[in-house]
Amino acid sequence: MRRYLPEMFSTAAFRLALGSSVILAGVTVLQFSLIYWRTTAYEVERADRLLDREAALMAAQTPADLREQMRLWQTNDLRLLITAAGLFDADRKAIAGNLTTWPETLPVDGGIREITVHPSDQGERLIRAEALPVPGGRILVIGRGLRDLQQIRSIVLQALETCLIPALAFSLLAGIWLSRRGLVRVGRMQLAIDRIMEGGLHERLPVRTGPGRDEMERLAVSVNRMLDRLERLLDEIKGVGDDIAHDLRTPLARVRAGLDRTRLRPQQPRELEAGIDRAIIDLDQCFAIITALLRIGEIDNGRRRGGFVPLDLHQIAIDIVELYEPLAEAAGNRLVLEPGDSVPLVGDRDLLIELAANLVDNAIKFTPSGGTVSVSTHSGRDGPVLRVADTGVGIAEKEQQAVLARFYRSDKSRHIPGSGLGLSLVAAIVRLHSARILVSDATRGGDCAGAVFEVIFPRLAADVPI
Amino acid sequence: MTSSSDRPIEDPFASQPPAAPGRRVLLVEDDARIAQDVTEELSLRGFTVVHAATGSAGLELALSGCFDVLVLDRLLPELDGLAVLERLRAASVNTPVLVLSALSAVDDRVGGLKAGGDDYLTKPFAMEELAARLDALLRRPADNPSTRETVLRAGPIEMDLIERSVRRAHRTVDLLPREFRLLEYMVRRPNQVLTRDMLLEDVWHYRFIPQTNLVDVHIGKLRRKIDPPDEIPLIQSIRGAGFMLRVEVD
Repeated sequence: MRRYLPEMFSTAAFRLALGSSVILAGVTVLQFSLIYWRTTAYEVERADRLLDREAALMAAQTPADLREQMRLWQTNDLRLLITAAGLFDADRKAIAGNLTTWPETLPVDGGIREITVHPSDQGERLIRAEALPVPGGRILVIGRGLRDLQQIRSIVLQALETCLIPALAFSLLAGIWLSRRGLVRVGRMQLAIDRIMEGGLHERLPVRTGPGRDEMERLAVSVNRMLDRLERLLDEIKGVGDDIAHDLRTPLARVRAGLDRTRLRPQQPRELEAGIDRAIIDLDQCFAIITALLRIGEIDNGRRRGGFVPLDLHQIAIDIVELYEPLAEAAGNRLVLEPGDSVPLVGDRDLLIELAANLVDNAIKFTPSGGTVSVSTHSGRDGPVLRVADTGVGIAEKEQQAVLARFYRSDKSRHIPGSGLGLSLVAAIVRLHSARILVSDATRGGDCAGAVFEVIFPRLAADVPI
Repeated sequence: MTSSSDRPIEDPFASQPPAAPGRRVLLVEDDARIAQDVTEELSLRGFTVVHAATGSAGLELALSGCFDVLVLDRLLPELDGLAVLERLRAASVNTPVLVLSALSAVDDRVGGLKAGGDDYLTKPFAMEELAARLDALLRRPADNPSTRETVLRAGPIEMDLIERSVRRAHRTVDLLPREFRLLEYMVRRPNQVLTRDMLLEDVWHYRFIPQTNLVDVHIGKLRRKIDPPDEIPLIQSIRGAGFMLRVEVD
């Protein structure tokens, strides 16, 4: 607890609790003051009315009767209403009653005043009193003590205390509890963030499972989602870095070894030439990898759709099949285009050609001699579809998404040449077109074994109006 | 080499060895290292290169009309490449222009060609590619009636564009349409290095880098039909560059 004490006062929860406590106290005091004020006013008015009535009654009596009544008053019920009374002669000397000294501050005009008296039997008392002349040249003073009022005041104050203190205590404690709870959670999150910053990217902010999450947890969930994405991206970058290093190191190592060997035997010009040729081929592969990487970056960063035009996906398929037919033939495979109608689409023609070319190229590469690669297009329910299926080695389920990542090559195909970036280019072009790519295994479809790549473009109307 | 206003620019070759006729290149490029490499490499290949380091210097030199081809970088100090190109074309200087650019393919290409560029190459590029393209620009078949002839000849090859028939020394060769297109392109450019990228771009109108030796496969098929084993091969591979249809010039 002490750890949080200095911070506690600066938390929003505590300040809110403190603020609302002050407001609560203020309102309560105001309420009680109002009650007290109204009650006092009522009581004073009642006292005044009583005094006026009694004064009028007494003043109407004969001097003898009045004196007799004053004597009796000390013992009868009237004493409860009129708590102080005194009959004075013209010289202000007490004749009867419990007021033995003349109240100096009281004028003899029948008006009611609040004065302090010193009755014979008690100490100092505050009363409301009036003095009026009565027959016989004497002066009558009657008064009513304000003891009830004092009682009311103490009752009100007591009530205020019993009301206010627990309420204040409660709200302060609630504030402390809330702020402490918040601080504990923030502290836990800070610890998690510290660990993340130190490199523990798999760490997540603590979140309760199940429903009923509060705003802080919803925020934590969002932050965690962001961390998921960041972690994936970082992993990708790290993977790409490793892959670049690996894929460039292999041909570069070959270049170096080859040049070394060639230098040791410089006698034969023919060997020299062959050595240089091999080095150039290997360096060209490095070059191809770098070029493809730059291109992927360009397509991904560009995000431009300036080159988008209406075109026919089926025509692209026709062109690509025509372009790649000799390649398939050279590899001993058949490349077939399934007949179809035109499939309207809005996109970047050059990039779509590249996409189709890479898919077909990839399919031919991974299909053993004697196989078939088929290309088809159709206007699907979700949008235009380009489908490339082969009868090759297929793609294991766990590798189906990974093949689209940069440099990924399935274990079965490490020996096949290429930059390893063809499908990454495809993925980048797919992203630019807001399309989706599905990778699946044809074996499940019932056909012969092989991989199926399906690019599903967004529906025309929803995407770009022509 | 740069030009300043107080020096005459009428003859930028004055201080140079006599220029090979028809192979004078103006290189407008601000990167000194690239400029030096390109100058040296092109000189080795028989070009005469003059270098300007800024857009305005390049424009001044180019306006003299003393060059057969221009290599123009896009990003230049003072005046950018496209602006140079536009002013050049506005001044009716029709020297062929090859635009160089950093990687940013489609937009740049469209911009470069719209501004009046004749070809386009992205950095980094292989020197063979640049040389082959400059060669192609220099030898570009002029747009005159003679190129609209219906029968093309190159050495022993004769192509009838109307009948769409091909003969090599009176022997008829059967070609698929795509093979015909490829051969036509080569026959129109005999003894000229044609890179894989040029073929893919000009014959198929595609501009991407294939993951495989796609063009080689097409050339291979054509070669098997054109060059029987017992005859002198016409379609030759040029190491590190591409292909060439090598024929005796009449």
